[in-house]
Amino acid sequence: MSSGPYNYSYIFKYIIIGDMGVGKSCLLHQFTEKKFMADCPHTIGVEFGTRIIEVAGQKIKLQIWDTAGQERFRAVTRSYYRGAAGALMVYDITRRSTYNHLSSWLTDTRNLTNPSTVIFLIGNKSDLDGQRDVTYEEAKQFADENGLMFVEASAKTGQNVEEAFLETAKKIYQSIQDGRLDLNAAESGVQHKPASTGRPLAAPPAKNDNCAC
Amino acid sequence: MNHEEIKAVVQEKFLSSEKVTAFLCDAKVLHPDWVKKERLLAIVEYGDEKAVFCLFTSCYPPKSFTDLSVEIVLPVDNTFKCEIDNKPSDPEAILYLNLQSRNNKFKFEIQMTPRVDNFVDDLFRGIEAVNKLQLQPEFLWLKKYNGKNEDDILAHTMVAPRGGVTHMQNSAPVAIRESLIKRKMSDKENDYTFTKKFTVFCGTWNVNDKSPVIPLKGWLSVDKEPPDIYAIGFQELDLSKETFLFDQTAREDEWYNAVLGYVDRRAKYVKVEKVRLVGMLLIVLIKEKHFSHVRNVICDTVGTGIMGKMGNKGGVSIRLDLHNTSICFVNSHLAAHVEEYERRNQDFRDICNRTRFIQPNQQPKGIKDHDHIYWLGDLNYRITELDPQSVRKLVSENNFLPVLERDQLKQQHKNGNVFSGYTEGPITFKPTYKYDPGTDNWDSSEKNRAPAWCDRIFWKGNNIIQLAYRSHPPLNISDHKPVSAIFMSEIKIIDEEKYRKVYEEVIKQLDKLENELIPQVKVDITDIDFGTVKYLELQVRTITIKNTGKLPVEFEFIKKLDEASFCKEWLIVEPYKKCICADETCEIQLKVLINKTSACKMNAGIDKLYDILVLHLYGGKDIFITVNGTYERSCFGCSIEVLVNLNKPVREIPVGKLIELESKRDQCISNHSTYSIPKEIWFLVDHIYLHGLKEPNLFEQPGLHSEVLQIRDWLDTGSIDPIPGSIHSVAEALLLLLESTADPIIPYNLQSVCLRASANYLQCKQIIMELPEFRKNVFLYLCEFLQEALQHSAENGLDSKTLSTLFGAIFLRDNPNVIQEPQSRINKQVIDKKKAHFVYHFLTNDHSDLIFAR
Repeated sequence: MSSGPYNYSYIFKYIIIGDMGVGKSCLLHQFTEKKFMADCPHTIGVEFGTRIIEVAGQKIKLQIWDTAGQERFRAVTRSYYRGAAGALMVYDITRRSTYNHLSSWLTDTRNLTNPSTVIFLIGNKSDLDGQRDVTYEEAKQFADENGLMFVEASAKTGQNVEEAFLETAKKIYQSIQDGRLDLNAAESGVQHKPASTGRPLAAPPAKNDNCAC
Repeated sequence: MNHEEIKAVVQEKFLSSEKVTAFLCDAKVLHPDWVKKERLLAIVEYGDEKAVFCLFTSCYPPKSFTDLSVEIVLPVDNTFKCEIDNKPSDPEAILYLNLQSRNNKFKFEIQMTPRVDNFVDDLFRGIEAVNKLQLQPEFLWLKKYNGKNEDDILAHTMVAPRGGVTHMQNSAPVAIRESLIKRKMSDKENDYTFTKKFTVFCGTWNVNDKSPVIPLKGWLSVDKEPPDIYAIGFQELDLSKETFLFDQTAREDEWYNAVLGYVDRRAKYVKVEKVRLVGMLLIVLIKEKHFSHVRNVICDTVGTGIMGKMGNKGGVSIRLDLHNTSICFVNSHLAAHVEEYERRNQDFRDICNRTRFIQPNQQPKGIKDHDHIYWLGDLNYRITELDPQSVRKLVSENNFLPVLERDQLKQQHKNGNVFSGYTEGPITFKPTYKYDPGTDNWDSSEKNRAPAWCDRIFWKGNNIIQLAYRSHPPLNISDHKPVSAIFMSEIKIIDEEKYRKVYEEVIKQLDKLENELIPQVKVDITDIDFGTVKYLELQVRTITIKNTGKLPVEFEFIKKLDEASFCKEWLIVEPYKKCICADETCEIQLKVLINKTSACKMNAGIDKLYDILVLHLYGGKDIFITVNGTYERSCFGCSIEVLVNLNKPVREIPVGKLIELESKRDQCISNHSTYSIPKEIWFLVDHIYLHGLKEPNLFEQPGLHSEVLQIRDWLDTGSIDPIPGSIHSVAEALLLLLESTADPIIPYNLQSVCLRASANYLQCKQIIMELPEFRKNVFLYLCEFLQEALQHSAENGLDSKTLSTLFGAIFLRDNPNVIQEPQSRINKQVIDKKKAHFVYHFLTNDHSDLIFAR
């Protein structure tokens, strides 16, 4: 058989965060299944999705952790930030309160991830332009001031969803190329897997001391 | 195929020193990332060492060892564990075999058969034996099964669970994914390839130890068009002893150069590969313009001669990928002698079984693993049942049919004993053996052999058409004539653009599959409200987890960031870890019990009845389960300093007020306090004093738990009814209350002082004098009461020694927050005795001076 590596060279870990009901799970579902999930139940915990994408000819496996947005779970979901290479921070353009909480989400992200983690701001539900409560310009300014990447997207129509996930990956990949992201750092959120060997990453030994018993 | 036959095939996969002692068919490996397809499990023994191999088979039952590939290797060492779960309810008698070695765990689903018993017995014998060894075996022999060291085997097969939510690595074995992609791509091959016809020239010649002293043009270059590929095989290149023993000969270069000199001049050819074993040489050439599309060229040789392995007989092979078609050429020289056709059949099978093309990081390929196979050579089959004279006569009349009917190879082929699946074209040329060298005359030696078609060409594969099959009599230097065949073969060529599209599609499908295979469960309740929870009253709730996915799910409650345990100390979760099969459910009991430790924290507002549990599915998501309830505050677990300040029953004190008092209990000043001892203690003691001093077995017979709880409520609500329950329940409630106080009556930091002073009453008194006010009050009050009780020892059966031991443990409570040195039992007894001794002084001496000193 021929051309190209069959396998991925990297694994990037993403987290999706933001207030309850902004559409985090729908964005994930749209990205992995290319479908809109109507009547999506609230996430009670952390959902998990994966997809293989290609950046600059390299196959990259995205491992995406979609977190519960409810305030009461905030303390628990903080456990999941560690080791994320990308953070998708989502608000709902039709609900200003979800936008107002961004600074608190941003603080958590900055505190709990490493400096090279790429943070991408997504204003979801762009299909509901008529009910808009936050202008594009305002959010864009917030993103610029905080050095975030930004798009308005719609998990319903799929608009910009692919872009948000892919642009994040491109930025992470750039960081690797520039040497800004240290792959050896335990918490880089990136695992490198030399594609040529066709072997999986040597997995770390099971951490028995972490078992709750 | 029966069990023994399959076992023989499996055994061939291993060296003869590595014995397959037991094996199982139809084992399904249960792993979310792996195809749930039948595997074979084999126990292989090498000396004293054993290992379990999981083998993937490309067809079932495996026909040859090349159908098998090693997937998992689990050395049976002292870390090895084997557990069997079965569900008696299952009508099909399915067993689950859990195998574990060095942190690698695998679960297999197997059918219950008597063979399973043998297999498991054998395994347990191995485990037993290895555990008796002083030195653990090294398992060096396992290294070759993946070409790297053992750690790589382990890394390869490792299933990496996520230790806690803080460890996100979830690297699944991706090798399987790769092989899946390959298989899917090859299934869809027609969608992205087109075919192009290539001409293949195959030639074979037994040169009988001759040098190329004549031109070969009449053999290699007689067709209208130059072929795209040449595959030319020689046998008996050199019959010298040196060649046989040292496998060196100058003839290889002579014949190779001769071939290069006489291939069709109209095209330019380059060498793909040549390979020689003793007298067998195979040369593959290709037109230069195709050379860039040739990849993965590998050769191998197999000797089947003397002792079944020397190279005077056997086969040499070259495999290559041309565009998207895999091609294999085999040149063989099979066993000689008229009657030895069975031996020739065996040689053929040996060459098939033992030829292995090894590519780095890939499963080795056998001959049969190719799209197109061309097999040429001196196969040595003869004509039997016909005397030499008749053969010669028929042949001279070009009447081949009656002779061919008696050709051993035609007969054996027809019966399926050799070249099964291969085709040979019709033979229209004279037998190629045996001639007097330099002539076209049949063998004139004494042996007077019958002529035979020793030199043959077979092929296997789709879309191959034979255009010519002939011999070349003018090349007469040998006792054999050369033979050649021309094939028109369709080679698959990849359309890069279409390939890309199909590839993307396959990847997308796999992504989807992978997401579908992520474990899925349904939890009936994720919000558990225990309502009102009271001190020492166990409450239980049940949640049900249903596996709604397609594979077994293993769940575990895991720790949150920076927490020591996965749940609060007042919560018990059973089971906290388990595997659930698809469509099955598991009930988990959550039990809340507030004991003295947690009650103190609840009263002080340090903890509340609220927790979020993280239910983790291995390889999948996490589910949060919220637990909450309201703790009914109680005098149990309060500190003495707070209780003396409460002029109302505890329940009538607002929660906030209680928390405030508890957090400031060190600052309580005696003058402002309501009571000199907690009223709850007084109620209980007074009740016993009035009604129970003469009760037999006082403080020795336990009360009823339900009555103790009623007494708790009576104290907490300040009921005007008489105290409920028996004297024994009241006595037990008193002991529990004294034991539950937030701080012990004698502070922890004084304990060692007390123990040291325990032999000296005066020193003990001194310590008591210096106790915090209310604790001193409680201590002396209780001692007075106990002295009173001892007055009635005739009725209640009490003695001062028993009482001092009982109350010693209560007054001088061990600090639960200090991790005790692992005390020997004797040491613990000494300490308990000293505690008793300390209290004993106050039960037997008059200490009214202490009371009046107040």
